[in-house]
Amino acid sequence: MRFLATLQNIKLSSLSFSSLRLLDLAYVIVLLPLLLMLKVPMLVFVVLVLSLLFFSSRPAKSWLIFLVFILGILAIYLSLYGAFSFRGLSRLKLFLELLIYILIVVVSMQRLTREINIYLLLSPFFFLALSLFFFHGMFMLAYVVFEVFFLLWMILSHRMQGNIIEGFRASMVMFMYSLPWVVVLFIFFPRISFEHASYGFKGETVQRMGHDGTMYLDNKALLVPSDRIVMEVGFKKEIPASHLLYFRGSILYSDKKNHWDPIPSFVKRKQNTVIPKTNAQSVQYNVTLYPTQKKWLYLMDIPSQAVKESTLDRDFISTVKNKIREPIHYAASSTLATKFYDDVDAYTLKVSSKILDKHNPKTYEEALKIKESHPTKKAKAKALIKFFQRQNLTYTLKPEALDINHTTDSFLFEKKRGYCVHFASSFVTMARMIGIPSRIVTGYKGDVSNGLKNYLAIKEKDAHAWAELYIDKHWVRYETTSTASHIETQNQNSQNNATDKKETSPLIKKINLYLMYAKYQVETWILYYSNIRQKQLLQYAKDNPQFIFIFMSSFIFLLITSFMFISYFRRKTYSNKTLEAIAPLLNILKTKGYVRREDETLHMYFLRYCEANLNKHEAISKIRELDTRYEQLVYAENISASELKAFKKLVKQATKFKMY
Amino acid sequence: MMKSLRTFIQIHKTVKQHATRFSAVVVILLFGLFLEAYMHDFNLVYITLFFVFAFAFTAGPMGVLNIGSIVTKFLKQGRFFAKEEGLIPLRLHNNAKTTAWAIDVFYINEYSLETSLPLEKIEVERSVTLQLPYVPAKRGFFSYKGCYLESKYPLSTARLTKTVEDEFQGLAYPQPKGRSLSSFLHEEESHYGEEKEFDGLRVYDGSQKLSHIHWASVVKGEISVKMFIKEHQTPQLLFHFTHAGSDDEARLSQLCLWALSCEKSHLSFEIQMPDKRLSTKRESIDEILSYLAKY
Repeated sequence: MRFLATLQNIKLSSLSFSSLRLLDLAYVIVLLPLLLMLKVPMLVFVVLVLSLLFFSSRPAKSWLIFLVFILGILAIYLSLYGAFSFRGLSRLKLFLELLIYILIVVVSMQRLTREINIYLLLSPFFFLALSLFFFHGMFMLAYVVFEVFFLLWMILSHRMQGNIIEGFRASMVMFMYSLPWVVVLFIFFPRISFEHASYGFKGETVQRMGHDGTMYLDNKALLVPSDRIVMEVGFKKEIPASHLLYFRGSILYSDKKNHWDPIPSFVKRKQNTVIPKTNAQSVQYNVTLYPTQKKWLYLMDIPSQAVKESTLDRDFISTVKNKIREPIHYAASSTLATKFYDDVDAYTLKVSSKILDKHNPKTYEEALKIKESHPTKKAKAKALIKFFQRQNLTYTLKPEALDINHTTDSFLFEKKRGYCVHFASSFVTMARMIGIPSRIVTGYKGDVSNGLKNYLAIKEKDAHAWAELYIDKHWVRYETTSTASHIETQNQNSQNNATDKKETSPLIKKINLYLMYAKYQVETWILYYSNIRQKQLLQYAKDNPQFIFIFMSSFIFLLITSFMFISYFRRKTYSNKTLEAIAPLLNILKTKGYVRREDETLHMYFLRYCEANLNKHEAISKIRELDTRYEQLVYAENISASELKAFKKLVKQATKFKMY
Repeated sequence: MMKSLRTFIQIHKTVKQHATRFSAVVVILLFGLFLEAYMHDFNLVYITLFFVFAFAFTAGPMGVLNIGSIVTKFLKQGRFFAKEEGLIPLRLHNNAKTTAWAIDVFYINEYSLETSLPLEKIEVERSVTLQLPYVPAKRGFFSYKGCYLESKYPLSTARLTKTVEDEFQGLAYPQPKGRSLSSFLHEEESHYGEEKEFDGLRVYDGSQKLSHIHWASVVKGEISVKMFIKEHQTPQLLFHFTHAGSDDEARLSQLCLWALSCEKSHLSFEIQMPDKRLSTKRESIDEILSYLAKY
């Protein structure tokens, strides 16, 4: 209660903070996101330092600072226990984590001395810069803008002798002055690089998922891919349904226990494939493929023709000579068929039928049962799907590691949890055991939720693997993840038989859709804005001149809004509300040349005006009336809101009078 | 808008910008963020970079407006004496629509060292008057210049200075030193006046002349002084320039001291200069002192 009473008695206008308090506030704000990634020992260390600061207001003695240093080193050691080694330092994020820990310990030691030095002043900026390595979502965007504003606020409050109210006003002005500049700089100087830097470190990209021509089943496959956009597809018409959005990457034939490999490039095979003339939908589309450092061009299943300067092989895999190091644009067309004719050569047939039966005895046993009980390949494939469905498999992005010596057995009969690679690998293995030549196709599978109208973004997390079974001289596509009985992922593919779908109201669905759309727009135009997007914007402006008008109007609106904020926060403040109410009249008199002297009371000022304008009877009567009312209000103990309102009305009437 | 721009340009011309160590910090920060942005490829880093850049960019005009709207003027007040500390009044008026923050006034102090007076704020359309200590080296006219305002508002990334263009023109009177006025009066007692019609005795309180002591009462053990109904003072004290000291400077210092003492005691006086007779009946004390200063 006493605390509440104290709070009530604080006058905001006199709220003043010492430099140390302002610095503490800055540290709280910049450390908040980093707390999410701190390990428990480091968190305990931070709590310990905060307790020391909270319970003691004196500078810490040197033995205590030394003790904090020892505890800090211990916390760093425990936090990085297992992960830390000199080899581990070659991983960028681990190195940055270590850097953050060291900075926390150093800052804590300096803060305990209660003396501000240069690195205590600069460290909030280091923490802000370091946090940007770890978080890059939409919420972080909002938080970064807030952090930047908050740090500015603290700096200005420090400059204004700790007056945080005046500091807030000044920082709002400065922020609003800066905002249009930031927008202009952001639009005209977009990012030009697309690869996450390794800074000479091994970097995180070594184990990054996505399509790379090899499919791992061991712990390398356990990483979850990112939201980074791999390519953007603009369809001539609307986006096809999700179950047709397969972008072919590479074909994998060889089971190498812990991974699958394609046929070596030195093996020459004849082109025997023919796209069937069916009623399958045909689509035309433009692709912007961002640098992948790989040779594949991703075309929709099944491509109609090769894209210029690329080669389309007999498995409809499109590649270019050199690795893609710069964004490239290409136009393509595809037939959205699920199967195609192929007079398979002996070698291909051999590698697509090869099995390692001893590695997965349980699977082999079940496969034999299917093989014996079904006469045709079609029936066998159907039975295979049913078998997978009966296994009660779970689609999850966080599966447990499989027994690498018996991957299919381990997946189908023990762990029963995995994602596309585990499903496709097991499906193809078992299909071969049944007697159906088969192969794995890897690439990307688009998600219409990442699309808008005719625009579709393909992200790294859309990397996918599926199976193709050779039935009746045709390669037939099988979506192996559709056999999952449960789904444990946020990014669900619509074809899965999810059992835990909950009914949601249309309103919530609609709100969710709008939120998704807003997120999509923010990500598209802010988080993933690039020089490619800038070129698209310029092209769009060329094609649609009215867009220039809309763009300029929006920018002018931003400018006007900024200046409105600036005017509001730069407005003159008054010592009391009555004086503030009468200020418009004083401004009018000032413009007429009657400047109030410094040592002059308002009453004296009005008297001076009246004496100088004896012939302006009406103006004098109005001013005298206001003068009397002003004196009454100023010397009254309490002014009610209605009295102040009536006075403001009186002033307003007086300001409309032109004869001053 | 154009008027505001014109005003800003005019203000900007009066303000100079200098780099600080925080300018280097901002450059390093921008470079570091650029490296992170360019190589790490997250637009959040670019946004932070652009904010830092925009803040550093807008800090300049904000700082210029903060210090540039301060109008400075030396006030013609106060007396200055050679080799004695005087106070030069400097008036700072804030013409801006917002409060001016964190301004330091730099001046050369009495030991010829650059010193600063920090001002927390100057409110809108308000003035602050500072007294800058100054010691004139010799009597006569002197001018005081070289005073300037400095501010690191808002971000310390630039040190903004504005020279006080106004020059203080002062006149240093001779250094008041020599014999005291009371000593002079004792010497010149016969000229001081004459007493008539004895009116009785009163207790001596230390302020009366020694000649008024009633020695008979002293013998009895009491110290009394004589009172008169009429005490005719000499109508005018007269100081002779030629008798005031050994050389001109000593004479002027002596006359200055006596003039000031007379002013303090509300005594009128005359000074007989070689070519002029100065009198408090015709001239004010400052006019007399000015004459002495310019001699």
